[in-house]
Amino acid sequence: MNKADRSRHYQDRVRKAIAKPRLQDTLHRFADAYVIAREAAFAGQDFEALRTAIGEMKDEVRDNLPRYRDEFIANAEAAGAKVYIAKTAADANNYICALAKERGVKTVVKSKSMASEETHLNHALKEAGVEALETDLGEWIIQLAGERPSHMVMPAIHMLKEEVAELFSKVTGKEEPAEILHLVRLARQQLRQAYLDADMGISGANVAVAETGGLVLVTNEGNARLTTTLPKIHVALVGMEKLVPTLEDANRIINVLPKNATGQLITSYITWIRGAVPCGDESKELHIVLLDNGRSALAESPHCRDALRCIKCGACANVCPVYQTVGGHVFGHIYISAIGVILTAFFHGLNNASELVRACIGCRACVAVCPSNIDLESIILHLREVLGEEEGVGAGKSIVFKNVMRNRKLFHGLLRAASVLQKPVTRGERTIRHLPLFFSGLTEWRTLPAIADKPLRDLWQDLPQKVEKPRYRVAFFAGCLNDFVYPEMGIDLVKVLNHLDVEVTLPLEQSCCGVPALYSGDKDTAVAMAEQNIEAMLKDDPDFVVTSCPTCTMALQRDFIDLLKDNPVWAEKARNLAEITIDISCFIADKLDGAEAFGKAIKSEKVTYHDSCHLKRGAGVWEQPRQLIADSGREVVEMAHSDRCCGFGGSYSFSSHADIAKQILGDKIKDIEASGAACVAMDCPGCMMQIQGGLQKQEKDVRVKHTIELLAENLDD
Amino acid sequence: MDNFINAARNVGADVQVLASLEELISYIDDRIDGSLMVSPCPSLLRAGVPAKLKAAGLDLVEEDFRGRGAAAAAGLTGANFGIAATGTVVLESTDETVRITTTLPEKHFVVLDPRKILATADEAVPLLNDFHKQMPQAYLAYITGPSRTADIERVLTIGVHGPAELHILLLDGISEDLMER
Repeated sequence: MNKADRSRHYQDRVRKAIAKPRLQDTLHRFADAYVIAREAAFAGQDFEALRTAIGEMKDEVRDNLPRYRDEFIANAEAAGAKVYIAKTAADANNYICALAKERGVKTVVKSKSMASEETHLNHALKEAGVEALETDLGEWIIQLAGERPSHMVMPAIHMLKEEVAELFSKVTGKEEPAEILHLVRLARQQLRQAYLDADMGISGANVAVAETGGLVLVTNEGNARLTTTLPKIHVALVGMEKLVPTLEDANRIINVLPKNATGQLITSYITWIRGAVPCGDESKELHIVLLDNGRSALAESPHCRDALRCIKCGACANVCPVYQTVGGHVFGHIYISAIGVILTAFFHGLNNASELVRACIGCRACVAVCPSNIDLESIILHLREVLGEEEGVGAGKSIVFKNVMRNRKLFHGLLRAASVLQKPVTRGERTIRHLPLFFSGLTEWRTLPAIADKPLRDLWQDLPQKVEKPRYRVAFFAGCLNDFVYPEMGIDLVKVLNHLDVEVTLPLEQSCCGVPALYSGDKDTAVAMAEQNIEAMLKDDPDFVVTSCPTCTMALQRDFIDLLKDNPVWAEKARNLAEITIDISCFIADKLDGAEAFGKAIKSEKVTYHDSCHLKRGAGVWEQPRQLIADSGREVVEMAHSDRCCGFGGSYSFSSHADIAKQILGDKIKDIEASGAACVAMDCPGCMMQIQGGLQKQEKDVRVKHTIELLAENLDD
Repeated sequence: MDNFINAARNVGADVQVLASLEELISYIDDRIDGSLMVSPCPSLLRAGVPAKLKAAGLDLVEEDFRGRGAAAAAGLTGANFGIAATGTVVLESTDETVRITTTLPEKHFVVLDPRKILATADEAVPLLNDFHKQMPQAYLAYITGPSRTADIERVLTIGVHGPAELHILLLDGISEDLMER
């Protein structure tokens, strides 16, 4: 499929998924229950320590794979198993099909195995004339439906009980009621005899233990125990990344996996199998197929190889706003959600991953819950760069990034021109309610702020600063939105910092932080912007560089270092800038102890706080702004899902995925309204633009304010 | 023991503290309608449990597990040890009869000596090591509550492919050997 067809096809699937509100409802309800259950399951445990240990252990295996693999094989074979290393999916399927033929196998019972989904094993068996029956309830349902799993742990989460009843009715030949207990018991009855009749059982494995040569299966239903007990032959198809050194390491994974997958303390069954255990009057014939299929290539990629730490818990889907909106059939290939984006690129080819790579909104919710400490977002960003090199970043974007953004004067000149050109659509207001022609889709569901008549940089020289003995001199990195869309916020920032005896400069050579280019896969432009901004911000040797946009904060604190780490001229400067960069709320609360310096707001107001993705999960800041708002005399009321993405995601909501962004914004507006607050505060101009746009379009009477604006209001009073 | 009981009940197991073998026999007798598979666990055999069950008039399955397994109403086993934090019973199940007894019937009765309850899964790791050292082939099972699924609309439902009821019978004095097999 060519690129254009592929994109069209993908967009079509997005629209169809969005048109299923019950799917979104199911996924949202599960996500809510999951967060609570997960927290309870980990109570009293240090999640950071647990995941650091798992990450390090998995890295150790990856870096010494031949040693652990050989140890596993030697121990497994000593216990009577036969081990086969499959380089590709086809190798694995061929081995299993040949074995089935040789042993005269007619039917196979399978317990859930994502590796067998990865290799399309059922299809291969069918071609070989072998009937494979899935026995995990969810897998059986989707097998009957002819679909693929939409979640790694809950394969049929996208199906409604009515749909399941319809499928089961076809099996039994009579109308089955859509009652869940009935359907579950019916599956039990229908599949019971199959275990006894099958000639072969096929399973996956959650862990393979090198020191014993054994496998561990983590399950709830009991089908894996039947599958590995009753048939004479047991084939386990195991991804190479499931290897761990010791039983103790296996125990570590078993402690974390159920808690992080579904919020269970432990699953009903943990099964440890080593070797050819007794079977009837003989010994079981056990074959272990160790699957590579792209894993070696993944291990060789310095940017992506952390993905091999994955223990397949599916948590990255559970918390993902994009997954919750469109489900795993859209945001996934075989493996789904954030980890699925990466694994698909390596196991099924970049072509199958390219739309998914762009579908990530970059909110880092997955990074926060990953039990193996994988920075999924960074890896996806890297894949986006690779894709940018392979396929281009899109003609329009390419011109903007390469020719416009890298030239600050031209870029800023165009923004000023836009301020004039937009007049016909703004009708002199600060808000764009409707855009004409093909841009109209962008303002159907939210208004957009107009570009200001005068950017902050033009107002700066007339801005009086009254600080007699400054405690600090700080440089303000305004970012595009603060400079050109919300200049009044910069004026408020000066007012607030002056009140705390801090003098503020605005280095005029600063430009866009480069994140839009970086997130679109244009690394060269991002590097050029990083150098330009480092030069500008360090020029007058400020005590601190303060930011009011968390995405800019991440750029200055993290991305510039990464972009320039191999460049001896710039690496140290990037580190120097990162060290003195701090977001404005943190600066006031932590460096200036300024929480109580703003008296009490004359009119106490209920304020709810929206955590911006890059502030909370990027910079790790969430307490300080709440503290500042509360100490300024306002009542802070928490909304549900305060740290769920608002759906902005920079260019995400403008170009590539407006449909998904709109849904995610809709969720956020509901949560804000339900909080009963008169004002929603946040520390990100991007979120402000998105949330204000959504509230205005729906004509909701809730003020949208940056924390700094609220503090400034106290000084006005 | 209290932690164990709470954790096991939280995941849907029935837990009963019993004072004597007689109570064990009548507990099972009261809850069974059909045949009872009994795997040859040393602790149960030592205490003469199968003979006592037969004497009480129960129909026992003690051979041809594969042939009669699917029709049996319940299975009875011992347990090597318990894990309090999760309410788990651990069964060394390398002998196939233990596996069939604990997978095919609707109900599973498991007898555990409360002296053999460990606090956490971490404490079980040295025992796992020992089992693997002693047995060239091994099938070890952690069982926590009855068989469950949430595969249809995320609604928790009990009793899909494994036992729908798990009865953990705590009986002091039945065995103190955690490695018994």
